Amino acid sequence: MSETEKVSKELIFIIDDEETIRDGCRQVLEKSGHSVITAGNGLDGIRIAREKHPDLVFVDLKMPGMSGLEIIDILLEDIPYIVLVVITGYASIVSAVESMKRGAYDYLPKPFTPDQLRAVTKRGLEHRNLRIEAKMLRDAKEQVEKDFITFVSHEMRSPLVTIQQYMEALKIVAGGCLSDEAVNIIERCDKRIRNLEDLVEHWLDMSRIENGTLTQKKEPVNFAAIVARSMDEMMPLCQRRGLEMEKELPGDLPSVIGDEESLVRVLINIIGNATKYTPSGGRINIAAEYDDLDVTISISDTGAGIPQDKIPFIFDPFFRGKGKDDRQRGSGLGLSFCKRIMEAHDGKIDVSSEEGKGTTFVLRFHR
Amino acid sequence: MTAKKKVLLIDDDKDFLMATRLILEKSGYEVFLAEDGKSGVDMVKSVAPDLAIVDMMMETWGEGFEVVSKVRSMEQGKDMPLIVLSAVDLQGPYQAFEPSEESPKVNMVLHKPVKADDLIKYVGELIG
Repeated sequence: MSETEKVSKELIFIIDDEETIRDGCRQVLEKSGHSVITAGNGLDGIRIAREKHPDLVFVDLKMPGMSGLEIIDILLEDIPYIVLVVITGYASIVSAVESMKRGAYDYLPKPFTPDQLRAVTKRGLEHRNLRIEAKMLRDAKEQVEKDFITFVSHEMRSPLVTIQQYMEALKIVAGGCLSDEAVNIIERCDKRIRNLEDLVEHWLDMSRIENGTLTQKKEPVNFAAIVARSMDEMMPLCQRRGLEMEKELPGDLPSVIGDEESLVRVLINIIGNATKYTPSGGRINIAAEYDDLDVTISISDTGAGIPQDKIPFIFDPFFRGKGKDDRQRGSGLGLSFCKRIMEAHDGKIDVSSEEGKGTTFVLRFHR
Repeated sequence: MTAKKKVLLIDDDKDFLMATRLILEKSGYEVFLAEDGKSGVDMVKSVAPDLAIVDMMMETWGEGFEVVSKVRSMEQGKDMPLIVLSAVDLQGPYQAFEPSEESPKVNMVLHKPVKADDLIKYVGELIG
């Protein structure tokens, strides 16, 4: 059967051990323009259904061998959008209710008339089409969201990148002709553009997390590697800001399941934060420990600390602390990003802080 | 005096091309511009550059990748130093900066925007 035929002509499948029922149903339904296939027992029923992917299945609940309920479970699991109607041999409302609890859509008590069969069939097929339509609408909505993110990402980031490249060119082209004041202006522009770039980047990350398109691998991740990568990345910044950074990791730190890239970014975000709020001469320490249940990574600084009344809000989008330098503005999305990523890992992020002494962020993962 | 080394830039953003050209020209390279993948590939043949820089963030990621594959399959391009420019959301074999076995070999992956000093240094290291 070709695809187009399948679309125009719904395939109905009757699983019943009574030949008269099978033949009767076939005659009625074929007359109303449907394709009909039949099986005389549960096992054949499942085999044929897997192969033919029928749109609507009638299953007799009372057959020798496999029980109707078992067949329902298997078919619902195996075949997407399948609609099941149970045929109850006796007026047993109990078994009909049980089937519907398991996911059958409707039931048809024996004996039934051709009109009843046609009515149930019509209802079942309508239900199936509605479900398919709903799925298509959901997919379309997701696609629009994804396209929008791609669009924004390209359209907002490209001009920023180009402006930055022009400023690089300006420095080269104008070279020695620029006064210190002019160089300073260019640097300030540069910084603000980078802030804007971060904002776009973080905003995109948040949108990606929300619609599930942020690539999240699920593979064993090695914390030593994550810490090392994050420290490599952030060391130059620490040095520029006059901060020391150290790690204390047990050698046998167990791995957890997660996405290395996003965890590196979580650490980079937290370390970056620490550099903003820690005065020159301060220290950032990264430590890890584990027990039978959890692995925890803590990132401590000797910075300004967070006022107690602000702690409940620091993971909220667009919350910003007051940095040691007002120009060091972040996007205000970094910590909410971290929190979302930790949630995606079934983990937790906590913070403890004492004003004037420092702040510690703790990342907790289940083993 | 020896002839200037030729660098081909392939990017669909005219302004990015212009900015990058200014940087490279100032360092004494002769710079050729292509605004899309196809003309870029053609120019590898007609210009025979010493090095090409390809943006992987053109209209689609596939376009940049296709340019790299085509260039590598050409006589003029198979040994030419090739730099690809990536963006943060680069998807594909160059994403992790560790191209897979079957992806065509590039000499370097740089992030956009590229610091002028870095660009000059890396191009210098590749073609002098």
